Amino acid sequence: MSTKEQADRIELLQGTLDLLILRTLLLGPAHGHAIAKAIEFNSDDVLQVEQGSLYPALHRLIKRGWISFEDGTSENNRRAKFYRLTPKGRRQLAAETSKWGKLAAAIARILRPAG
Amino acid sequence: MRRLKRMMEDLDRDIRDHIERETEDNIARGMTPEEARYAAFRKFGNVTRMKEETREVWSLVWLEQLLQDIRLGFRMLRKSPGFTAVAILTLALGIGANTAIFSVINGVLLSPLPYKNPKQLVAMKENDSLPNVMDIQRQVRAFSQGGGINVEPMDYTGGSEPVQVRVGLINAGFLETLSVQPMLGRIISPGEDVQGGPRLAMVSNYFWQNYLGSDPHAVGNTIHLGGKSYTVIGVMPASFAPPAEHADVFVSLWVGSPGAAADRGVHFMHTYWRLKAGVTLAQAQTDMAAIDRRLAEQYPAEEKERKRQLVSLHEWLVGDVRSALLVLFGAVGLVLLIACANFASLLMVRAFTGRQELVIRAALGAGRGRLIRKALTESVLLSVLGGAAGLLFAQWGTSMLLALKPEKLARLSGIHMDTRVLLFVLVVSVLTGIVFGMGPVWIAARADVAEALKESGRSTTASTMGHSIRGILVTSELAVALVLLVGAGLLIKGFSRLRSMNPGFNSANVMTMYLQLPTTRYGEIPKQTQFRRELLTRLNFLPGVQAAMVTDIPLGGNYVGHRFVIDGRPPVAVGGEPEVQTLSVMGNYFHVMQIPLRAGREFTPLDREGQPLVAIVNEEMVREFFPHEDPIGVRIRWAGDTGLPRWMTVIGVVGDVKHSGLNQPTDPAVYTPFSQSDEAWRRFMTLAIRARDASPGLVEEVKRQIWSLDGQIPVGDVHAMDELIAVSLAQQRFNMLLLGLFAALALILAAVGIYGAMAYAANQRTHEIGIRTALGAQRRDVLRLVMRDGARIALFGIASGIAGALALTHLMASLLFEVKPTDPATFAGVAILLAFVVLAACYIPARRAMRVDPMVALRYE
Repeated sequence: MSTKEQADRIELLQGTLDLLILRTLLLGPAHGHAIAKAIEFNSDDVLQVEQGSLYPALHRLIKRGWISFEDGTSENNRRAKFYRLTPKGRRQLAAETSKWGKLAAAIARILRPAG
Repeated sequence: MRRLKRMMEDLDRDIRDHIERETEDNIARGMTPEEARYAAFRKFGNVTRMKEETREVWSLVWLEQLLQDIRLGFRMLRKSPGFTAVAILTLALGIGANTAIFSVINGVLLSPLPYKNPKQLVAMKENDSLPNVMDIQRQVRAFSQGGGINVEPMDYTGGSEPVQVRVGLINAGFLETLSVQPMLGRIISPGEDVQGGPRLAMVSNYFWQNYLGSDPHAVGNTIHLGGKSYTVIGVMPASFAPPAEHADVFVSLWVGSPGAAADRGVHFMHTYWRLKAGVTLAQAQTDMAAIDRRLAEQYPAEEKERKRQLVSLHEWLVGDVRSALLVLFGAVGLVLLIACANFASLLMVRAFTGRQELVIRAALGAGRGRLIRKALTESVLLSVLGGAAGLLFAQWGTSMLLALKPEKLARLSGIHMDTRVLLFVLVVSVLTGIVFGMGPVWIAARADVAEALKESGRSTTASTMGHSIRGILVTSELAVALVLLVGAGLLIKGFSRLRSMNPGFNSANVMTMYLQLPTTRYGEIPKQTQFRRELLTRLNFLPGVQAAMVTDIPLGGNYVGHRFVIDGRPPVAVGGEPEVQTLSVMGNYFHVMQIPLRAGREFTPLDREGQPLVAIVNEEMVREFFPHEDPIGVRIRWAGDTGLPRWMTVIGVVGDVKHSGLNQPTDPAVYTPFSQSDEAWRRFMTLAIRARDASPGLVEEVKRQIWSLDGQIPVGDVHAMDELIAVSLAQQRFNMLLLGLFAALALILAAVGIYGAMAYAANQRTHEIGIRTALGAQRRDVLRLVMRDGARIALFGIASGIAGALALTHLMASLLFEVKPTDPATFAGVAILLAFVVLAACYIPARRAMRVDPMVALRYE
């Protein structure tokens, strides 16, 4: 009920958000707001994250052991939770990325057959 | 748990932090602080739901929520006791009735027979003689064991009065086939089961308890049966009974009745067989056909044209009650369906009245799944409570069923609540709660929050939808009730036809009593005749008493058939002669039973031994064998006579008698005088005594007369003729009563459902009715407005019910007697009855609506 006005934006598929978070954290630890901004910025605002849904996703990843967190102080001296990719999460990202690539290629072939 | 708490606190801080950062970013983009904050929240989405989802990541949420929902559910139910009571009662009636019938089905159809490897057991449809049983046992490779039994009443003289006990005359194979392990002692061995073998007896647990005082050393005792002494060698376990009959004592047929044992042509044993492992019934049946041919070649006089058919023992025992039980189960399922429709209706009303709350919860961030689950928990809670209450109903209902049960069901008395029944209740209850709780919840939950918050609880799309769904529910209830009522109506009509069937005799004030003369003193016919004549003389001297005797009393369950030859007709091949029922009588039997004489004359005391042989035939015999000639004066004789032919002259024709049941056709029958019989084995007889008042004192007086002649003769099966008729109607009565009960239940539930729906609809329209009245609508118009809904429901419900009934009633054709499954009178009667019920159910709310004060109604919110 919240995204009616942004018809040209794409809502995220279930599970895709997890993958995007892992990808974002590959560049280094970040806090929640920064992750949300990064995803929006990197996708040229095409992918619309309902920002709140980031948090259940983060906790899901923590539970699976793909990311860890630590308390830190951010740029303007505010306490915040920093999320960091674990080695396990890094392996998971690699696996998921290649799987995603294959899937995307396959779907592309089906939707736009060569010739 | 502590970790969860800390994580959640951290999350709160993270979210606050997130919103602040977003707000700052927005301000930096040039928004006012207020706008910026609002935009940040909008972008974040529903905070409460996010928190809830995050919490779910970390906890065994479903369990927590379930417990919470159940607690909440109980609280809600307590808060509206009226709704709760009606819902639980409705379901309890439906589930209870189903459970009662299911426990009967479970006991009779589903539970295995109380024998070892019961699937290997088969029965033969026709009775057979012992020599044949022995030949089959030797020659058919499909069977590992086989044996037969014939139950005969005999006198047991252990105490002061001789008592009649039922003696199972068996061969050794019988007990081996059923794999009985005796509780005490042993069973008879094949070596002892021979002509001239020792007099051994195995007693039932019942006999052991009642006549042997539960003596643990009973084995080795001597008991007297039919004037002869037997040594007890074994006591059967309490769980054992022969498959289709009751017996107190078991003795070898060779020893107990050697004459009958050796006679190949006397087919009187019920035989049972055990299939070898891996052999199918069809294979055994093929083997059987070969045996039939071989025996027919070898013994044409006795065995020609016999066709032995095998059937699984289970089928043999429950075959004829199965269709009745399944129809009843179907009927009771329909009752449950109606109860469920009412339940769903109630839930729907509740869901709509509780919609505001639902909407507020949704607005505050409750997930849709969670809301549905909460509502479902409530409905399942109700249905499980209903199931539990239903179990109590069932307990009571089952004992009522057992009290009503016809003979045939009595034999398999393993009817009780077992785990299978409990499981049935649980599954039915939970499914009811889920399936019928789901619909209302789903409709209520799909409400658009914004839309719902705007409405004030009246006339919205969702509640219109709810209204029409209730209409559909009520209409289907009506249709289902109609199907049940038509079914019950057909059974009632058939039953009243059956009851008004003329049995061919007058049963009022007639008492019957079975006697059997012991072989030792009454082996020859003159002795038997002397006893019979003397007894009848004495009985007819009693004031107000007319007595006669017959071999087999109508509806008594016994039947003897004989093949016969008509003098002067072209000869028929031996074994191919037609068969008729044969009865011997003495005394003024037709007069006592009030069987009308149609032609010729009755027997007189002069038709006795040494005089010309005479016979009286029934009308069916005339129709079948003498359609175009006068049977009086025709000579007939029994087939298979050896020696001089004994021609009997037909001297009279009497009316037909329903011998085997009021719903059974009458067979051609021949009556002959006892005193002219040449069959010494017919030592039994049934007294028929018509008295002005059939008091118990009469029975005692008759017994005194019998014992003054011979103190060693047991008396058994004392019944009033009316009672025999009632017993013969028991199965039909059982079907009718139950289906009638279910139909009544269905009618009440449907009426309540219709009334509820109408009252609710009228109530919802109070506002509208107020406006109409204010604008000048007459009471008549208001009445028409409300009744129109009812009439529509009645029309659709009755029409679809009739269609359903037409499709379904043929399933019960086998239960009906002389009524077509599509009997138009029944259909019409039921349709009219239901139309009245619907109109009455609408009339009450309609009257209330008529009286609506427009001022009150317009203020009504």
